[in-house]
Amino acid sequence: MTRNVVVTGYGVISPIGADAASFRDGLSKGRCGIATDAFSIEELSITLPGGKAPDIAERIDGLGPALKRADRVSQMATLAADEAIAHAGLEIDDETAMRTACIIGSGIGGQGSFDRAYYDMLKKDRRPHPLTVLRVIPNAPASHVSIRHGLRGPSFAIASACASATHSIGVCADIIRGGSADVGVAGAAEAVLTYGALEAWNAMRILADETCRPFSKNRNGLAIGEGAGILVLEEEERAKARGANILARLAGFGMNADGKDMINPSMEGAANCMKMALSGVRIDDPSTVYINAHGTGTFLNDPTETKAIRETFGAGADQLVVSSTKSMHGHLLGAAGGVEAVAAISTLESGIIPPTINLDEPDPDCDLNYAPNEAIERRIDVAVSNSFAFGGMNAVAVFEKA
Amino acid sequence: MSEIEQPLLEIIAEHAVGLTSPPTRATPIADLGIDSFSIVEIIYEVEEKLGVDVPFNANENPFGDMSTVGDLIDALQNLIKK
Repeated sequence: MTRNVVVTGYGVISPIGADAASFRDGLSKGRCGIATDAFSIEELSITLPGGKAPDIAERIDGLGPALKRADRVSQMATLAADEAIAHAGLEIDDETAMRTACIIGSGIGGQGSFDRAYYDMLKKDRRPHPLTVLRVIPNAPASHVSIRHGLRGPSFAIASACASATHSIGVCADIIRGGSADVGVAGAAEAVLTYGALEAWNAMRILADETCRPFSKNRNGLAIGEGAGILVLEEEERAKARGANILARLAGFGMNADGKDMINPSMEGAANCMKMALSGVRIDDPSTVYINAHGTGTFLNDPTETKAIRETFGAGADQLVVSSTKSMHGHLLGAAGGVEAVAAISTLESGIIPPTINLDEPDPDCDLNYAPNEAIERRIDVAVSNSFAFGGMNAVAVFEKA
Repeated sequence: MSEIEQPLLEIIAEHAVGLTSPPTRATPIADLGIDSFSIVEIIYEVEEKLGVDVPFNANENPFGDMSTVGDLIDALQNLIKK
C-alpha cells in the first residue's frame, strides 16, 4: 500500500519574522528584512546588506543550558522545530519517539563558532573553546532537536548548500514512505552572518550592493539571510487517525545533479528536477500552480530558472505565478528551502501569493508572472518549491492541497 | 583559602545548572547538575581566566574519588601545581 506523506506543522525563524505567523504576514505584505549592517568579530568588520533575524535572545535563553552553549545555527533550528512540533500538536510518547525521524541540514554548520575559534587561535594565540567541535559539526542542529524532543528514529544532517532543506524534506518523506519512520521533523538552519563567512562570500563577488532584486533587470546579486525552516511530516493515515490538522500533502519530490559545474547553473538540470518532482502530480489548470522560485537575484540564476520553468510547463508557464521570496528574507542558503516550503504551503492555505519585491525593471530574459511588488490573491492547488545549489545539486518539492 | 579558590568557585558556579544557591566547599558534586564534559569546560575557563595550565585528559580519571566541590577545587589546584 502506498504511504503518502502530509505536512502537519511548520516553524520559522527568518529575517521577516521569528515565527511562522509573522513570517507569513511579512510575505503577504511584501516586507523586506534585508538591511545594510556591520557584521563583526572584535575589531574585524564587514559592512554588507544582510537579513538578520529579529531579536530572539530571550527565547534562546529559555532553551536551557545545553542550547545556550550551542552555536546559533542549532539554537535557530531548535526554536523552529519547537514551533513546528507544537503547531502539529504532536505528542511524542515513547512509541512515537522511536518512529520519528529528525533530518535537519545546514549548508555550513556552526560558522560563528568556527570564526570564534580561529580568531582566538590566530589573533589571540589562545586555544579554541572545548565545545568548538560540538558547535561546528553540521549535524549539531539535528542532534540538538533529536535530544531535546527525545526523537530516536533515523537522524542525520544533509549538506547540499542552498538545497539542504529541500533535500532534507524530500529524503525525510522518502524515509516515511519507505517505512523506516512514521513521522519526521525535517528542514534546515543557517547562521552565516559572521565576519569570516561574509568575507568569503564577498570574495565571490556575487553579493548585492544594496538589496536583492530577483528577476529585475537591475538585479546585482544575492543578499544572505539567517534562519531556520522546519516541517513536521507525517504518514497520511497516521495523521488522519490522530485527527491532525493536515496543512498540505507532499505530492512530489525530485532531486538530481547538473553534473557540469560548481557555480554555473544548468537549465536542463533544473528542468529535469522539476519534471521529476511533478511526474505524479495532476495539474488540471496551470493558473492554480504557484512556484516559489530559487530566484537568487544573480545574473545567471534568474533567466536560467525562467527557461527551466518554460521547459517544464510549456504553454502553461504563462498562466502560473512564480515569485522569489528571497527578495524579502534574503538567501537563507541551506535553510532557504525550509522557509520557502512554508511560503509555498501557505499559498495553499490562504490563496495569497507572496510578491517578488524590488522588481522595478522588467528583464526580457525573465518573462513570467513574478507577482511583482504586490501579493496576488488566487486559489492555489499545487505549490512548487525550487532549490538549486552551488555544485549543481537540485531539489524540488511539490505540495498540494490535502 | 588560597587566592585562586574564590575564582575557581565562581567558574564552577557558572556551570552548576542544578544549583539554586552558590556552591561552597561542602556542596556535593552530585548536586551541581554537571556532567563529565562540564569538567573539560571548567578547566578551559580556569586556564583562560587564571592564565595557568591544567594538564588533564578526559579519558583518564584524576577526579575519581571526589565527592564535594572542595575535593574538585583541591584536585584542580593539584593539577595547576604539576
